[in-house]
Amino acid sequence: MGKLNTSHLIEAVAWVAIAALFFIYSFEFNQKIEIYKFGATAWPRSILLMLMLVIAGNLFYQRANGSTPQPGRVGISEDDLDDAEKPLSSYLNIGSFLFLPLIFAWSLKPVGFYAATPVFTALVIVLLGERRPRWIIGITLFIYAIIIGLFMIVLNAPLPQGTVSPFYDFSAFMLRMNNQLQNMF
Amino acid sequence: MIENFLAGTAALFGDPITILIFVFGVIGGMLFGAIPGVSMLTLAAILLPFSAGLEPAQGVMLFAVIYCTGTYGGAITAILFNIPGAPENAPTAFDGYPMTKQGRAGKAVGAAVLCSAIGGTASALLMMAATEPLAQWAIRNIGPPEIFALVFFGLAVASSVGGNTIWKGWMSVLLGLLVATVGQDPVGGINRYNFGMTDLAAGIAFVPAILGFFAVSEIFIQAEKRAFGKYNAPKLDVNFPTFLELWRYKIAVVRSILVGFFCGILPGIGATLAAFMGYGEAVRWSKDKESFGKGNLEGVISSETANNAATGAAMIPLLALGLPGGALTAIMVAVFQFHDMEPGPLVFYNSPELIWVVFAAMFYANVSILFIGLIETKTILQLLRIPFHFLAPMILMLASIGSYIGRGLVLDVMVMFLAGMIGFLLRRSGYSIPGIVLGIILGKIGEQNFAQGMQMVHYDLITYLSRPICLILIVAGAITLGTGVYKALASNRTSADQE
Repeated sequence: MGKLNTSHLIEAVAWVAIAALFFIYSFEFNQKIEIYKFGATAWPRSILLMLMLVIAGNLFYQRANGSTPQPGRVGISEDDLDDAEKPLSSYLNIGSFLFLPLIFAWSLKPVGFYAATPVFTALVIVLLGERRPRWIIGITLFIYAIIIGLFMIVLNAPLPQGTVSPFYDFSAFMLRMNNQLQNMF
Repeated sequence: MIENFLAGTAALFGDPITILIFVFGVIGGMLFGAIPGVSMLTLAAILLPFSAGLEPAQGVMLFAVIYCTGTYGGAITAILFNIPGAPENAPTAFDGYPMTKQGRAGKAVGAAVLCSAIGGTASALLMMAATEPLAQWAIRNIGPPEIFALVFFGLAVASSVGGNTIWKGWMSVLLGLLVATVGQDPVGGINRYNFGMTDLAAGIAFVPAILGFFAVSEIFIQAEKRAFGKYNAPKLDVNFPTFLELWRYKIAVVRSILVGFFCGILPGIGATLAAFMGYGEAVRWSKDKESFGKGNLEGVISSETANNAATGAAMIPLLALGLPGGALTAIMVAVFQFHDMEPGPLVFYNSPELIWVVFAAMFYANVSILFIGLIETKTILQLLRIPFHFLAPMILMLASIGSYIGRGLVLDVMVMFLAGMIGFLLRRSGYSIPGIVLGIILGKIGEQNFAQGMQMVHYDLITYLSRPICLILIVAGAITLGTGVYKALASNRTSADQE
């Protein structure tokens, strides 16, 4: 096993799983192309083959050197290498922070940008450690005002309006206000 | 040429509306490039519908100016926040961000301002002098095999920087290439890896992917540091480098101009590969290779000179051949089409005034980077004073809008946040985020040109490699790759010997 540890093996298994998933799915579009002998699968499968070779090379390297970076590499961030033990609450905090944006993205279609933005902004500020209500509300409104001012009023950018009432009605209200404001000038 | 340039200058500054559009482009490009979370592409996507109401010369000029100043603006966020404003600024962050952490942000930003202006101005002058002969040379000598060979070389260079090992560098690049296969294949139009989602048939748009991998993952990393009590606010510093300090890097500047200009000429390649190759060459020729990635000013200088040197050159395939060199030049094609025009050789004969207004505007935009950039930079540096927990939600919101605007798909916002999560995990494990992004950008270009090249040579590899430029680039890529693998294997042996 050399200097291989469990995380190295999990890492390798994850990469092999990705490669296997993409290889299996490649049969879905395994069709001939009249004008191109190699077809639609040749390129992705070549990438997958190279990926498997490189995964093997990586494992071989880790067996000899563990997680130590290769000498002479350029552009490695020192922040990326910290694996020290941390308290559980910190993991929960960062876990929530990682998933919150996905929930925001998912909510954009039904709720719309105009209604979802202030809630998401406030939650991010809270998760990043701010606990003073005045600051949370003040900064949320400040960011909302900048975004609405720049993208809705100045640039007229089309943003998701939502499909579910009352969020859709709120977006419609915002857009009506914007129209009235534009008509004034 | 001088007469045409003066005529272009007169047309540019002779009309108040055109002047206003020019100034808007200069300031808008710089600001959108320098605001973390959005980029010049966000601005360009928003402005595209409005350009239909402008004169053709005004419309094309506006986007050309945004391209010049936005490419520079993206360096500021790369240096201050480790969030490149555009992929072409990614190598700038390698040394720029460590400099910020060391309290040398002013030096890095000052060097980026000056070198962007020098690279861009030199490129604009070369473009004016040589668009037609270079376009003719490119038509004769550069075909799909050469473009594929350059993509291969560029990916080999990208794999050699950023990851902890050559293997992780290549795994990052290959992941990017794999992501780029999602959507229709570029030869037969067959749907690949859309997993039953119609929106994915158009592929993964690279703007959300870039914002996710760079901006969102950086926010996650900083949030993790805050959660674990390891966050150190970057130090504010507004001391710009002196002329003498920068004079030491004159050779790096000239080399990066040449590298950037060459990459920019090639259709589909653009400024991103130029920046990586400029940075890669700086490392290759340096006597102090170990200091790169740890705050070496030459890294910032090489990357920023090369990417701005590519902006002028990227106009050559666009104007002379009608082939866009990147996302922003592709938007310019749409501007031409709004006005029932097609970019290509005929533009030089049918609309020479348009060409020279654009050339003059690009020249003055690059010169203005030096003056407006220095003033703007002093203000932008104050962003470092804003506490992270107030800046982060702003960046996330801007990035959400930036990724949504391009295609109007909520899927793109999801892709951005997923890319952010994946980027966060991969960065912690020593993978190269710029490598993934370059793989995504060059994947389709590489595949398309490989397929066209193979069709051209009737699938005969000997004929393929008998093209001199193609052979040189493939051999150079193979040497870069081989050297990296050899070093990795040598370190395996060293470890075994020590045990």
